[in-house]
Amino acid sequence: MTEGDYFHVYVVMELEDARLVPVSLEMLSEARRLIDNLNKKHGSDEKVVAVLLGHDVKRLTQTLIEHGADFVVYVDHPELKEVRNTIYTKVVSQIALDREIAAKVSAKYAEQFKKPRFMFFGADAIGRHLSSTALVELDSGLASDINKLEISDINLTHQNKTGGKQELYEKTLEMYRPDFSGFLWTTILCLDNKNPAIKRDYHPQACSIIPGVFEPLKPDSTRKGQVVEFVPRIDEQDLKVRILSRKAIKSDVDFESRKAVVSFGRGIRDFPEQNIKLVEGLAKQLGAEIGVSLPISKKPFSVSESLASTYMNSERVIGTSGKKVSPMLYVAVGISGAMQHVAGMKEAEFIVAINPDESSPIKDESDLFIKGRMEDVVPKLIEELKKQSSLVEA
Amino acid sequence: MTLNVAVIIKLEPDFSEGSVSYNPDGTLNRAETKNTLGPHSAVACTAAFYAKVMYDTKVSIATMGPPIADTSLQMAQRISDAEELHLYSDRIFAGADTLATAEVLKTGIQKMHGKMDIVFSGHRASDGETGQTGPQTAWKLGYTFFGNVVDYEVNVENRTIWIKRLVSLQGFNQVVEEVEAPLPVFIAIDPSYKPTFKTVSQRLAYEKYQKEAKIRSDNYKQYLKVLNVQQLEVDPALVGLPGSPTIVYKVERIPKGKANRQAQVIDGSNPEHIRMAVAKMKEALAAMVIK
Repeated sequence: MTEGDYFHVYVVMELEDARLVPVSLEMLSEARRLIDNLNKKHGSDEKVVAVLLGHDVKRLTQTLIEHGADFVVYVDHPELKEVRNTIYTKVVSQIALDREIAAKVSAKYAEQFKKPRFMFFGADAIGRHLSSTALVELDSGLASDINKLEISDINLTHQNKTGGKQELYEKTLEMYRPDFSGFLWTTILCLDNKNPAIKRDYHPQACSIIPGVFEPLKPDSTRKGQVVEFVPRIDEQDLKVRILSRKAIKSDVDFESRKAVVSFGRGIRDFPEQNIKLVEGLAKQLGAEIGVSLPISKKPFSVSESLASTYMNSERVIGTSGKKVSPMLYVAVGISGAMQHVAGMKEAEFIVAINPDESSPIKDESDLFIKGRMEDVVPKLIEELKKQSSLVEA
Repeated sequence: MTLNVAVIIKLEPDFSEGSVSYNPDGTLNRAETKNTLGPHSAVACTAAFYAKVMYDTKVSIATMGPPIADTSLQMAQRISDAEELHLYSDRIFAGADTLATAEVLKTGIQKMHGKMDIVFSGHRASDGETGQTGPQTAWKLGYTFFGNVVDYEVNVENRTIWIKRLVSLQGFNQVVEEVEAPLPVFIAIDPSYKPTFKTVSQRLAYEKYQKEAKIRSDNYKQYLKVLNVQQLEVDPALVGLPGSPTIVYKVERIPKGKANRQAQVIDGSNPEHIRMAVAKMKEALAAMVIK
């Protein structure tokens, strides 16, 4: 295969309860930006292709065009009403490899087209699994949980990929993924093996994108695009997987309706059990829901079973890999302020940080920085809060 | 045996305090951090042990890693009462991304005694955090994949499985989904999974197999098989670096953004400052009412 065999970005849409999951439009927006830059730089005419699977979904195709898609491939089938990984993987892969569809997307590249150049999925309960299985089916690489993308031409000398020689990789997707600490960015590339000893094509270059990172485009009803229906081949065998029921449940953790959120991080380390109880006390005085930083969800400290199961879980994580909150008051207790956490709380109206280290990044995200150890500061705050409320009541 | 169950596990940095070490800049100090059986791998072993107690099950465990990863197999055996431990270890496997790792694990699982009816994995590794290896191994095996599974029951006679799983999506309430599928299946177990044993006979079986697991894991080496690339008979072009489409191009510190707010810094040991802080917090909350 030559460099010329791959075109376009295919963006896999997600639906729940017949509505688009927001990450779908966020991905379209970023795909639009990237492809516009690419076309401008190379004088090409590659497209943003939205791939939409479901039942009774044609009504959504116009919305996708208004939000940046040049082309919508939709599949309308009763068996696609709910996501079943096997069926979805096969249908998405069929579309990605379908040369008739590619010819409709762009006549200009119809002859050469072998595979999409790029593919985007949502990094969530649908897209994570679907991207993983689809990229095995398409036999290419995948980077997960991406929050920044760029397309560049990269000169690379790599022992394995290029056999130690310098090679140019054109139109390469740089996929930035924040690591678990929130302080490091790892850039992942998906590259063909140009090394003659192990020559191999690895396209599409694919990734899953963290929900809430990119802003969707404002809908523009003057945008033009094409819509085409794809008729899938569904294996009888795969229909033996039956969804018996689906029920939406309300979470016990409720950030939405609370005025305040108190979150804690690794700063509880010296006395984890007592310190979590202090945080509970502060939250109670403020009528706040309790959040945590990502490291806490990994249960780094040994505390009683009840505290661990209540607080050390992913449901309470605030940040890019958790929830975004925007309360009137946000209190960060013993949180250093990694970017991935800040992304989840920066929209709060008033932010208070309690931290002994004035140089920690959370200071630049706070309105009020209380310098001190949480063991010392939080009890005083609780006491003062109690005092001030009893004054009001009196 | 009526059921063959395998678990894929991973040796990971131990994030518990006392074992974990961070660099001054907040990143993980890998050299100083101890390793252990990954917490999500441990949950997957618990799910396999459930099959051991409930059905007549043989449990097998597999991992890819350096020779020292055999300790993670021992820990996994202690939880699951496995009687077959596979370690896929070869310098060629090093540096593999998830696609190349899945190739090794798939090949190994197919070499286990008996055809596997269920393969379990953890939710995701606590260091890599991609969550891709499970579903990619499933697809290579040709097994139906289910993620975020919180409960399951096998109908041994019909060779079917009932599965309960969680689906969380941005902007939607969490959904609990119940599914029925023919075996074989691949299950990535949710971190919140907790098996329950209701009847007396289940509890007796639980205790019996726990004892057995302890004895077995004390002598884990007699259950252990270490396989290199030749013994595994896997295509070297599909594993390790040659079989990895992706590379890590660069690692950098995430640049510190511009200060978004100008914090007023106050002294937490000064009672007057604490009074002021509380007043400001109350004010922030009161603004809600006006809004």
